[in-house]
Amino acid sequence: MTLLKLENVYKTYHMGKVSVPVLKNINLEIKKGEYVSIMGPSGSGKSTMMNLIGALDRPSKGRILLNGTDISKLSDDRLATLRQKMVGFVFQQFNLIPRLTTLENVELPMWFAGLPKRARAKRARDLLIQVGLGDRLTHKSTELSGGQMQRVAIARALANKPEIILADEPTGNLDSKSGAEIARMLDRLNDEGKTIIIVTHDPTLAKIARRIISLKDGEIVDDRIS
Amino acid sequence: MIEYLELTIKNLTYRKMRTFLTLLGIVIGITAIVALVSIGAGMTKSVNAQFDRLGADKIFVASMVAGGGSGEGLRDKDLRRIEKLPGVKAVIPVVTLIAGSEFKGEEKALPITGVPAKEAEKVFSDAQAFRILNGRWIVSGDRKKATIGYNIYNDFYRVKVSVGDKIEIQGNEIEVIGIFADTGDNNQNSRIFMDFDYLREIMNKGDEITSMVVRLDDVSKAEAVSIRIKEALEKNHDTSSFVVLTSEQLVKQITDSFKVIQVVFGGIAAVSLIVGGVGIANTMIMNVLERTKEIGIMKATGARGSHILKMIVVESGIIGLIGGSIGIVIGYLISLGINIAAERFLGANVLTTAVTPALAGFALSFSFVVGIISGVYPAYRASKLDPVVALRS
Ligand SMILES: Nc1ncnc2c1ncn2[C@@H]1O[C@H](COP(=O)(O)OP(=O)(O)OP(=O)(O)O)[C@@H](O)[C@H]1O
Ligand SMILES: [Mg+2]
Repeated sequence: MTLLKLENVYKTYHMGKVSVPVLKNINLEIKKGEYVSIMGPSGSGKSTMMNLIGALDRPSKGRILLNGTDISKLSDDRLATLRQKMVGFVFQQFNLIPRLTTLENVELPMWFAGLPKRARAKRARDLLIQVGLGDRLTHKSTELSGGQMQRVAIARALANKPEIILADEPTGNLDSKSGAEIARMLDRLNDEGKTIIIVTHDPTLAKIARRIISLKDGEIVDDRIS
Repeated sequence: MIEYLELTIKNLTYRKMRTFLTLLGIVIGITAIVALVSIGAGMTKSVNAQFDRLGADKIFVASMVAGGGSGEGLRDKDLRRIEKLPGVKAVIPVVTLIAGSEFKGEEKALPITGVPAKEAEKVFSDAQAFRILNGRWIVSGDRKKATIGYNIYNDFYRVKVSVGDKIEIQGNEIEVIGIFADTGDNNQNSRIFMDFDYLREIMNKGDEITSMVVRLDDVSKAEAVSIRIKEALEKNHDTSSFVVLTSEQLVKQITDSFKVIQVVFGGIAAVSLIVGGVGIANTMIMNVLERTKEIGIMKATGARGSHILKMIVVESGIIGLIGGSIGIVIGYLISLGINIAAERFLGANVLTTAVTPALAGFALSFSFVVGIISGVYPAYRASKLDPVVALRS
């Protein structure tokens, strides 16, 4: 079952008079439950593609179908709602909100989704226990190690039970041991049926993925199932 | 709502110094409003009370020669002229002056009020709430006698004055025959009352009159009679040498003078609230800039523009509310301070200011609204941030 489809997708940034074509004629189909890794040199447009897939941004040209809905022309609010339900982001810099506790960070997406406080708190706690941080619920993110922060971020990404987890270099800021832990976690999520798309420079992490897409200068140069 | 509050408190405590500076304008504005309204209300209350005591059936005529006016002062012939005017029931002349006095070897300048002895009790006891503490009022035929105010008895001289004591005024021994209870007004507590004719005699005042209390036949004619009195006096006096005021005009004159204070305070309040609002807006714009990345994160994790908008507006409103609360507390302290000062220097019950719950509630809502209005623009900007750009910052 096709979960995601990019049809002739272009993304061009305009900086004053100069237009920078970042993605050129991307065609891509991802099925539910796939584990896809996107590789490519720096500046090749990996993050830009992730933002489009995650409904954070709109393409300059072409169509993106997420679960059958064309998201390329949706309003900001519709996009936000779709994002809320469908995708969970994991970033290289963790991107936790420093003033909030781990529990509150995980609750945040559920709050945006309108979940009542008790349900939210319970699910956040369960998720944190799942990622092995049951004893860090009231810690601020500044009091956590990188690996722990990324686990909180994964718990947060899972909060609203999204179809897709989008992880942009999730191990980029981690030592190899924590990195391996995160990789195992993503693998397990994929086993549980989540569609996983990651961007990585790390060949060992990329190998876990069943499918590797290579980008170069904004174009797909290779798409291989291992 | 609870969530927005929680977030706000975290955000505000994170930047304490900035929050404090932001609060300053709104604090000053609300302080000014609370102080202003409580003082204004207190003044109005005390003036109304005074009006009740004066009674509406009187007109006051005062010579302004000593107070900067020009021309001739009021004299007996003016009194006789006023007495003959239609609508006038009686005219009581008053002479007020300050004379040298000596009591038990201590010399001091003493404020004295002279009223016709037979009218004294009537005029002052119902008009100004004098009550006898000891002894009695001066009555008809009491020439070398005086009834004294509470402060004169209590602490004017080093030695307390008792009924039967003699105070020397201008070489004349005056016997104290009565002492008034505390009236609550230091000005009235600090004078003595003697017979009008006798006082003029010993002070060589000839037929000078300081002021007159005109009693009316009919309260509703006060305005008309006051005009008649003015016209009668203008025949041989400069208009600047006297004033004629009905009780109502007297009260109005006092309340009008409050308006100047109110305008000044109101101006301070308005300016500080505007400055405070701009300060809040400025801080919120800075907060939004600083939190651009966070706003990006929130959007990436499912926040809609309206979530961000509400978050910033609530935060801004809370800043207003905190500033308002501090302003109310300071305003209340100022009001309290004025009460204490008024009691100390003017006497008890002369001016009682009060911060009512309604006033506090109004000030609080007002500061909240100022905060919210100031937050709208920064919040709108934040809500429109492009998540991709925000995340890259
Ligand atoms: N908002 C933007 N405005 C202008 N140019 C942009 C913007 N976002 C990305 N770019 C440009 O698009 C190109 C691709 O950026 P992108 O972040 O997608 O690369 P990437 O493959 O993720 O690189 P990296 O591996 O370094 O993260 C870069 O040249 C970048 O400078
Ligand atoms: Mg990137």
